[in-house]
Amino acid sequence: MNLKELYQEIILEHGKNPRNLRKTEGFNKDAKGNNPLCGDNVHVYLKLNGQKIVEDASFEGSGCAISMASASIMTDLIKGKNEHEAKEIVEDFLGMIKENPELKSKYLSEDEKTKLMCLSGVKQYPMRVKCATLSWHTMVSAFDEKTEEVKTEN
Amino acid sequence: MNIDQIKKEFPIFDEKIQNNDLVYLDSANSSQKPKIVVDRINEFYTKQFSNVGRSVHYLAVAATNLYENTRSSVQKYINAKDKNEIVFTKGATEALNLVANTLGQSYLQEGDEVLITELEHHSNYVPWHFLRKSKNIKINFAEINEEGEITLEEIEKKITPKTKLISITHLSNVTGAILPVKEITQLAHSKGIIVVVDGCQGAPHLKLDMQDLECDFYAISCHKMYGPTGLGVLYGKKKWLEELPPYQGGGGMINEVKKDRISYGELPNKYEAGTMATAQVIAFDQSIKFLESIGIENVMKHEADLVEYGQELLQKNNSVKLIGNPKNKGGVLSFTIEGVHPHDIATILDEDGVAIRAGHHCCQILHDKLNIPASARASVGVYNTKEDLDQLNDSINNCKKIFNL
Ligand SMILES: Cc1ncc(COP(=O)(O)O)c(C=O)c1O
Repeated sequence: MNLKELYQEIILEHGKNPRNLRKTEGFNKDAKGNNPLCGDNVHVYLKLNGQKIVEDASFEGSGCAISMASASIMTDLIKGKNEHEAKEIVEDFLGMIKENPELKSKYLSEDEKTKLMCLSGVKQYPMRVKCATLSWHTMVSAFDEKTEEVKTEN
Repeated sequence: MNIDQIKKEFPIFDEKIQNNDLVYLDSANSSQKPKIVVDRINEFYTKQFSNVGRSVHYLAVAATNLYENTRSSVQKYINAKDKNEIVFTKGATEALNLVANTLGQSYLQEGDEVLITELEHHSNYVPWHFLRKSKNIKINFAEINEEGEITLEEIEKKITPKTKLISITHLSNVTGAILPVKEITQLAHSKGIIVVVDGCQGAPHLKLDMQDLECDFYAISCHKMYGPTGLGVLYGKKKWLEELPPYQGGGGMINEVKKDRISYGELPNKYEAGTMATAQVIAFDQSIKFLESIGIENVMKHEADLVEYGQELLQKNNSVKLIGNPKNKGGVLSFTIEGVHPHDIATILDEDGVAIRAGHHCCQILHDKLNIPASARASVGVYNTKEDLDQLNDSINNCKKIFNL
């Protein structure tokens, strides 16, 4: 196990100064997620334009450095993607966090992949995987217009 | 009291946990088990096993005697008046549900008020909430003061003419506050109010005397008391246990079963339906022996010293903020670090073999009140030492370093 791998500078930085920690004005999709075991919660907002492309993404909530950094990086890189692309990226990310050694999605730039790979240290901490994935599941729920709160699986 | 000696009685401390010596500071969650308890479970299953109370063969009779023997030990340990005031349950949670459910069936009426506190564990709130839903009772909350305590005055203030029951923790699993249960009970009884105590954190750490406390019900969690999981104890005054209806129905709790009528068994069988956690009950006798061999006064003194030491250490540590500062405090140190979420603290401490708990500790009402989503909690047991708390402090410093604080 390696704490340095888990708490990389970029995670600490995003955790401390999360991007898009706000509520998108005029959002048209949103969903709430929560982690019943620890009480952490997140609210993801998306604003899709006429072409169904994410014009803005943001989130509100509180949580550990991992969950805040994950939501921060996610909301940053999802902008400019459409629903299909976004969902493929979510699948790719969840696969990577659980088992895959790398990210494969053609919709991610090398730079974006590098950023997301910073979260790969979570793999070694099974109890913390849900911290990294909560905002991603919640974003999918927002796309699908689910009204029920997302609960992280254990 | 020789801690080295006591620690040796717990096999887990011989283990390396991820290559570290274990610094176990999560006893408020569940305590470790002494060898005599583990061995007793093994011995019972390998040499003496039988179900209790059902058959007349040798093993069944012997197992029944062992099972009942623990009931007597518990009775003595908590100084209950009658052996039949001791009911085994699957945990404190079930004990509290039993009380709420049976009082809800036959005693509490629509509009009645139940007074609990902001310190309560979800298991001493949700069962009353069920009655709020099903019977329209009202739940009031006594509020904590600045120090994280519940005072007698606050309880008195929150009692109304409709208050029928007060259900309170003996010792908060977050702030460590020890509540004046005896005084609260006296006050309540003078107004005809029933008192239920969640004794999960009290039982392993305080001297228990039911006849002195005089509360009507007291719930105990055996796994926090150096005993097996899957087991709890409900103490209930005999007049209540006799008067209240059964909780669960099934084998063992009946007297006579006919197609058109059923009569129920006597205490304590009335509340012990089905096959109970037999091995656990029998092994729990060893947990009581273990505590008695040290002496609860010694346990209390040892843990009070540890908490005082730990409190001083953490107070001196910049950016660590302790939660609550009760005058009367048990072995719980809950804290936050400005700029580091409790889950990150717990993960980083774990790397050094320091096991603490992070989260809301099943006390969301309290965390809402404190305006924090979660906290980190170090809690002590008989086997902890000042070195454990030094290690806690060192690991907290490492945590601060990783987060550039
Ligand atoms: C104060 C308090 N009440 C109730 C419980 C629940 O006890 P049990 O695990 O025996 O159901 C706990 C333990 O988690 C506790 O700390």
